[in-house]
Amino acid sequence: MKSRSLARRGILNGNPVAMVLVGLCPAAAVTTRVIDALWMSVGVFSVLLLTRVCLSLLSLLRDGESAGPSADLRGGEGAPRIRWLGALLIASCLTASFELVLLAFAPEESASLGIYAPLIAVNCIVLDRVEPAAGGKHIPTALLDACGLGLGFAFALLLIAAVREVLGAGTITLFPAGTFGGTIEIPGLSSAPARALGYAGGGLICLGYLAGLSRLLRRRPVPAAEEAGTA
Amino acid sequence: MSWLGIILTFSLVDNVVLSRMLGICPCVGAPRGMKSALGVGAATALLMSVSALAGWMIQSLVLDPLGVGFLRTPAFVLSVACLAWILEALARRTAPDLLRAAGFPVAGIALNCAALGAALLVVKGGFGALGSLVAGLSAGAGFFIVTVLLSAIRDRLEVEKVPEPLRGLPLHLISAGLLAFAFVAFDRAFLARMLHGW
Repeated sequence: MKSRSLARRGILNGNPVAMVLVGLCPAAAVTTRVIDALWMSVGVFSVLLLTRVCLSLLSLLRDGESAGPSADLRGGEGAPRIRWLGALLIASCLTASFELVLLAFAPEESASLGIYAPLIAVNCIVLDRVEPAAGGKHIPTALLDACGLGLGFAFALLLIAAVREVLGAGTITLFPAGTFGGTIEIPGLSSAPARALGYAGGGLICLGYLAGLSRLLRRRPVPAAEEAGTA
Repeated sequence: MSWLGIILTFSLVDNVVLSRMLGICPCVGAPRGMKSALGVGAATALLMSVSALAGWMIQSLVLDPLGVGFLRTPAFVLSVACLAWILEALARRTAPDLLRAAGFPVAGIALNCAALGAALLVVKGGFGALGSLVAGLSAGAGFFIVTVLLSAIRDRLEVEKVPEPLRGLPLHLISAGLLAFAFVAFDRAFLARMLHGW
């Protein structure tokens, strides 16, 4: 029961709009095509999952040791900073691996993600819970938490991409498979799309309205911190 | 590209926030008030320009000669994080009020995104040392302009009657989107006219 609620927390409830939004901002730049959003989601999901697992393993290792050379890393003023640097290093190495995999298997996609693929490393979602994750030694918990968060992120990103591509270009770009060319054209929309949604401005407006919509659907009072804008 | 071209491209035409969607978090998420917006904008702009220069140095002096271009992401991320910390320490010494006004540590993840993006963009442009610094400074200036503009818009929105679900962050994002459309006026054609006469 506890694990299920943990996974759900990421996807539905605990997926705080503000946080996912903050993580979405750099990623939303690649939501002009559904396929880009799909690859971005795969990247964020895998980097997030592996970073969490690595951090959990590391914290096991750290606590397993008695007083040793790393003793001052555990306490002291610089401890969170060192831990943060470690998390950054892990996340950025995993991101670099993702970039290489992308370059090897989907070179066109790698070109179309451009500078946004390296930015996964500093995505707020990946680094948001570094501290709790570093403290949480329970690997399945960390895994479930990361899965929920990653799926929530992927859902939001794909939703934005679908809205932007369907309305902004009148198409849905997916993988080409067999006789299927990879692009679905939507009759009526593809001849006269609202091209404004393809621009960055359209993306931001779309993001804003979707955030408002999700808040409306949840019917929750606006948290004071979010209202103040300290997202 | 001429110097004026680099400056205009990175500050207005290819604005990091409005056209690249980088660093939106500090832009729309900064605490209210013009003073804090100025602080956040200036700190991030400074970080961006230093990061751009550091990015050029790492790429052309370390990664390229050694042939380890695939290590670009970790190298850039770590250098930007360290620069952010240095900047934060400096700010704590020289302007503690500014740091408090900003409300969150300069080393925050959010700022790294803008700074890392600026470094990547500048390296992609393939400039020299001075060109990278100028491009970074221009990108920082572009960020600063947008932060201040959005802060002014937000101050106005505070007193307006708005639909309740849109209050706060959603409306800030929509404002940023509308501002982005206003900045579409600064396009390549505008740049070409500026550089080659009207």
